[in-house]
Amino acid sequence: MANHLRFLGRTVMVQNGNVEAAYGALNRILSQDGLVEVVRRRRYYEKPCRRRQRLAYEACRRVYNAEMGRKIAFLARGSRQDPWLGC
Amino acid sequence: MSAVAWQRLLGAAWGGRAAALCRGLRTGPPRLQDSAEAAEKQSATDLSTHIQVVSFDNRPFARTSCGTEGFQNAKKGTAIAAQTAAMAAAVKARGKGVLHVRVMVKGLGPGRKAAIKGLTMGGLEVISITDNTPIPHNGCRPRKARRM
Repeated sequence: MANHLRFLGRTVMVQNGNVEAAYGALNRILSQDGLVEVVRRRRYYEKPCRRRQRLAYEACRRVYNAEMGRKIAFLARGSRQDPWLGC
Repeated sequence: MSAVAWQRLLGAAWGGRAAALCRGLRTGPPRLQDSAEAAEKQSATDLSTHIQVVSFDNRPFARTSCGTEGFQNAKKGTAIAAQTAAMAAAVKARGKGVLHVRVMVKGLGPGRKAAIKGLTMGGLEVISITDNTPIPHNGCRPRKARRM
């Protein structure tokens, strides 16, 4: 960040002197953009074999969570018209 | 800069007379609205927190850290130490006439939030918070993983 304008990126303005809310907003943006995890991961070196294992694990986890979310959303649907109407 | 603009205006045929009217042509460095605008950099590591208050053109006002506040070893890496260091820095900067401050935080550590709170408690008004944590695009290799 040394070659860019100093207060352009990763900046949150404080409104009405509410520093806590501004800090919370900054933290939320950073964690949503994945910067916090990147910083924590780069603290120690991650060997290439560990990195491959982690990426595979994260991919599987993403697929599993998506499918489980779909299943739960399917099972939790409500307010549809009665399919057995008239029987 | 102003000399060049002046000559160019005088060189123009029909602008020669009108050039004399616009005298204030020079564009100096952009003046900020606040009277005393300063930037304040924090470096918040796991071990300690350093705080430096600096003007917009990098003239230093105050520099404190957990170590300068009398904390030793493990106690430097706490939020309370960061808060006291920030309050001391705020008091010093206030003494030199700084009112508003833009905070730049570097690193994830225990003193990250506490130092900003300490600044506001010490009397400085925070305008914006920037996160300047250094993220290498695969530069230096960090140390090996712990507990092998």
